[in-house]
Amino acid sequence: MLGGVESTNVKESQRTDAEPAARDGGGGLRMTRDISGPPRLLTAGTGAAVALCLAVALAHVLLVFLHVAPPNAISKAYSRQIDAWVRPVFEQNWRLFAPNPQWVNRQISARTKRTAPDGTTRVSDWIDLTARDNSVVKHNVFPSHTAQNMQRQAWNSYLKTHGGDNHPRSDRAVMIQKYLRNIAVDRVAAQRGGTFDSIQLRVITQPIPAPRAAGGFRPAGAASARAETRYLPWWKVSSHGTD
Amino acid sequence: MERTEQAPVAAPTAPTAPPRTTEPAAVRMPQRVLDRVHAFLVLLTERPVSLYAAAMLRIGYGLLYLVFLLREFPHRDEMWGPGSPWTPALARQMFDQSGWVSVLTLSDSRVYFEVCYAVALVTCALFLLGWRTRAVSVLFAVVVVSFHARAIFMADGGDNLMVLMAVYLVFTACGRRWSLDARRTRLQASAGKTAGRLGGGLRHQLGDARIILITVLHNCGMFVIAAQVCFLYGCAGLYKVQGVKWGDGTALHYVLNIDLFRPWPELSQMIDSHHVLIAVVGYLTVLVQVAFPFVLFGRLKYPVLVLLLGMHVNIAVVMGLPIFSGAMIVADAVFLPDRFYRSLGRLRWCTPWPTGVTGAGASPGPESALVPPQPGPAG
Repeated sequence: MLGGVESTNVKESQRTDAEPAARDGGGGLRMTRDISGPPRLLTAGTGAAVALCLAVALAHVLLVFLHVAPPNAISKAYSRQIDAWVRPVFEQNWRLFAPNPQWVNRQISARTKRTAPDGTTRVSDWIDLTARDNSVVKHNVFPSHTAQNMQRQAWNSYLKTHGGDNHPRSDRAVMIQKYLRNIAVDRVAAQRGGTFDSIQLRVITQPIPAPRAAGGFRPAGAASARAETRYLPWWKVSSHGTD
Repeated sequence: MERTEQAPVAAPTAPTAPPRTTEPAAVRMPQRVLDRVHAFLVLLTERPVSLYAAAMLRIGYGLLYLVFLLREFPHRDEMWGPGSPWTPALARQMFDQSGWVSVLTLSDSRVYFEVCYAVALVTCALFLLGWRTRAVSVLFAVVVVSFHARAIFMADGGDNLMVLMAVYLVFTACGRRWSLDARRTRLQASAGKTAGRLGGGLRHQLGDARIILITVLHNCGMFVIAAQVCFLYGCAGLYKVQGVKWGDGTALHYVLNIDLFRPWPELSQMIDSHHVLIAVVGYLTVLVQVAFPFVLFGRLKYPVLVLLLGMHVNIAVVMGLPIFSGAMIVADAVFLPDRFYRSLGRLRWCTPWPTGVTGAGASPGPESALVPPQPGPAG
């Protein structure tokens, strides 16, 4: 705050002798004024506004820095203030492919279940939802966000909110679960159609094998990169389930 | 931004200093510091820096968002509409938690959504053209924030950057160059109309105060934009340094094998087969990103900017991320000085376009008279 006040004072005291000089410098057109000069109040107001702009800009840069920097003593101590300023609009994450790029490919499949009035249930085959995304991306100069990001990010968010098991423990987790289900339902309906009353997802995580070493043989561990399969529970679908 | 522009800027303001330094032989420290502060304040309050770069950002992001919206036209309902798997109800629930807002969830009606989408297209186009830029820039920020917030789980780094830039651009005078506004001002000036110069006394003084504030806002905005881009690359680079895969030079191998970012599998495979190339490019990527904030104050920034341009063009093609790469390229363009853009303008329109002062707040630089008449190379 002290800095702000000081710069206001400097500003005011210098305004008077800056003026003729500014005229010489070619900026004079804007600075011409009446013989009487601007009222003190206006000058003070302008100076204060200038100082405020400067202070806000600097504070913003500082807060954004603390937001993007790794957690440290300062950002932990002031996390509430930082969040209050930065979130939501200035939220950002620039860990692009960092610290390590994604080293797995995921294949998300879905199958549906339909219970007939007489109680018998029919379960469909697995439908590969990721293959659809991949084929849409292939040989496309400008792939859509719906192919590259929708399902991928939904699953990443599911992993983040649910962790290893499939029990949602927060509001956010429930929301993400609904989102993931809705995506699957929409895609199954688009690919195969038909009606069903519940849906199940299966996610196969396939590690990308390490590159062949320059000598032509793989490191010992690389061959054992095995796929992992995770089954999610059956989720109820309410008439093409969007709630 | 201010820093990068200080070299060219210092020249016109330099004449202000001599009358103040009474003893040139032994300039005392406090006096020098005061002069510096004074020069800085003159720059801050009287010279809008990098007006061309600001215009470049306006044109770039306006165009990118327009292209993005048009690209997703077939998927608009799925992404932002009432028919999205991220339902309006879920989005609203999320807004309550996250603090985001969006005009798109004000109504669940399909018609309302289509109107919003159409308004968004028009807004982007007007912003790109620089028509009533200040007002339209606010609208543009509302559009970008609304669409981003509505599809928050579909966004990537490029969308994130466009939100930030759309908000920052509201504070800049990004419509002073290469815009319909500039054209109108020029036409008015050549017609001999001196708009806003008629009021006397207090009105005139208020006008002056307004111009100072606009200039300060612009300069602060450009400074924040520049700092933001530095944070972006600094983070992207420094977080990579912590990664084992970037360390052993194999990171790009994994990037090239992610199915969803491999629109040309043959091409990706071909690049992937060159281990040395992969390692060199990987190291270079990290190095350039880390170096970025530090090279901006010297000549070295040009080769680094060229390298980044190459990197982003490659990402656009190889990974199928044109909007992401475009957003990054436009952000980089903010560090090119005005004289670069002016020569670009002269290149396009071989005859220099001599005009008068381009409006009350025009940058009073010696060459500011050379204003190309129309939007230039758009991103």
